[in-house]
Parts: sequence; C-alpha cells; structure tokens
Amino acid sequence: MPKKGKPKILMIEDDIFFRKLYRDKLVREGFEFIEATNGIEGLNKVMSENPDLVLLDLMLPRKNGFDVLKDIKANPNTKDIPVIILSNLGQESDVKEALDLGAQDYLIKTEVRLSEVIDKVKKNFPKK
Amino acid sequence: MGEEVFQKSKISEPVSIVAHQLKNPISVLKGYLEALISGEIGKINKKQKEYLYDALENVERMSTIVNHLLDVSKIEEKRYEVKKTPINLSALAKDVVEEFSSWAKAINCEVVFNPPADLLLVQADLIKIRQVIENLISNAVKYKSQGQAKVEIRIQKKGNKVLFSCKDNGIGVPDKDLKKVFSKFYRSEDALDIDPAGTGLGLYINKAIIELSGGKIWFKKNKEKGMTFYFTLPIIPSP
Repeated sequence: MPKKGKPKILMIEDDIFFRKLYRDKLVREGFEFIEATNGIEGLNKVMSENPDLVLLDLMLPRKNGFDVLKDIKANPNTKDIPVIILSNLGQESDVKEALDLGAQDYLIKTEVRLSEVIDKVKKNFPKK
Repeated sequence: MGEEVFQKSKISEPVSIVAHQLKNPISVLKGYLEALISGEIGKINKKQKEYLYDALENVERMSTIVNHLLDVSKIEEKRYEVKKTPINLSALAKDVVEEFSSWAKAINCEVVFNPPADLLLVQADLIKIRQVIENLISNAVKYKSQGQAKVEIRIQKKGNKVLFSCKDNGIGVPDKDLKKVFSKFYRSEDALDIDPAGTGLGLYINKAIIELSGGKIWFKKNKEKGMTFYFTLPIIPSP
C-alpha cells in the first residue's frame, strides 16, 4: 500500500558530521530523514521504520555495511528497498561485491558532490 | 571500528588506514563548503565566497594527497587493481585534451592532438589510463616555459602495441635528476617553484598503472627543449 507523507530516507552512518550534513540537506530537499549510527541499529530501523531508501556506509561499528546489505536483501519485507552505498572504500572488488549483493548504486564519499548524491537519491526513488 | 572491513579490503598498513580515516573528514568538509558556496544556507558576500572557494580548493588538494598515498600503498603492497577492458585510446585522449584546453589556453599553452587514422582499441583500465593521460598533459602544461608553449599528443600503432606520446617544450628535468623522474616524491627545484603543492607521486603511479596493464612508460629529453613522455599498451587486434 502506498505510504503517505514525505519520502523517508534512512542513513546508516557512524560519522556524526556526515549525518548532520545529509540530514540538513535532505530535510531542505523535502525528505524525512532518519538515522542510525551502527549496522545493528541500522538493520533494526530498516525493519521498524520501513524507509523508502537507505544510504549505507560500509565501515560501520557492530555490523559492517556488506552484512547489513545482505540482511536487507535476504528479508522479503525489506528486499525491495533501494540501497545506495556511500563509502570511502573504492576498490573495484568492494564496488562489485556491493552491487552483486543488490545495492542500487555505489558512491565514493570523497569523489562525489553532495548535490550529486541528492540527485542519485531522487533518481533511485521508487515511483509510487 | 570497521576493522573487519579493512581486513576484507586488505587494508593493513598504517598509512592506508590513516589515509582511509582522513577521507571522512575530507568528505564532510567538502560537503559543508559546497552547501555554503551554493548559497542555500544563506547569502554570502563576494569575499566570503572567494575564501570558501580557496578552502574548497585546499580540501581538494588534501583529497588528492590522500588518494595518491592510498594508491602508493596499494602499489607497494601489491594489491593495486587494474581492470582490463577494451578502450578507445584516441577517444579518451581527445576527451582529456578538451578537458585541459581552456585552462592551457588561459596560460598561453596550446594542446594539439594528432589522432591515428584507424580506430585503435587497447586492453586497459579506462579510469586509470585517463588518470595517466591527465597527469601527463597537466604536467606538460603546468611546467611550461615562459611565453607561448605547445604540447603535442600523438597516438600511433607500433606492432602489437599502441604508442601514446606527450611532447612539450617546457622546463624539463635537469640531467642530474633524470634517473629520479619516476621515483616517489621526486620534484625538481623548478617544479617546486611553479607548483609547491604537487605530491611528486603522479609519475610513480603512472608507471605502476602502465606496467600492470602490460605496457611500458618512459621519456626522453627533446633535442630542442622540454620532454616527451611515451607509454605503450597492448593493442586488441582488429577482427
């Protein structure tokens, strides 16, 4: 059933400043922003909050981003939620693994501009 | 934090770990500066904008240093990855020449590209070969002599290889330093005068990229003035 209200983005990211940057920007762009600071909390919020899209870091405390992604995609209730990786890992093997696991897109933090990330979020948004 | 992912990605040396940890604050700074410059947080005056652009440029410099350090540690730990996919070297070179031409023109330097008559496909890593070509052209333009300068890019078929060359009439490298050109952190005195901020890692990384791609890279001093850098890459035979 289509959800009402603002589209909801969950950012799973342990860096407080990074979360603030994206929280401010996404709220300005009209999204609802929720956040988690580690992999376990992130996965719990994916299930409890049912976000429209997840921005996922890979190097996370408690549970790494690859495992979080694996669990999101293994659960029939969450497998269709688009996940965009936003990480500093840029090795070809990391990118390939994340895309093979079902990530919608893979962005490298230092190489992408804030506005480009927002464009990707909008582009990957599921049509309702 | 993230230790297992570091291990998974074979990031083990302290330099790589520190370089990786620097990436987050760099991305955060870039993001905040970008938001301020865009004016969406509030109006900024001309001088404030100028300072913010200067800050952003310096953050970009930090980012380049960190990326170069990471590349070097990957090369030394023998885990630098180079993909091998078919690329049209001529189209790539043309694109890079266009990217640099307005900057070059602004400092009185003409960049000329002589494409080959035939389509030449090589087996290489598009992003990394682009990095090599960008580095060679940017060095040739940046280290130009006083007055009008010229940089000539040529691509030719040589047996089962494609030969790329980048000829300049710039400041060159003193004879005593010729053996150090591809060494890590090498910068000539003249280069330091022109651009004190360079890392001295570009050519070292270029050498690794080309050799891992099955090619060779070298240079010669021109008879008249400046240097010519060459590299080869394995050609994909046309059907």
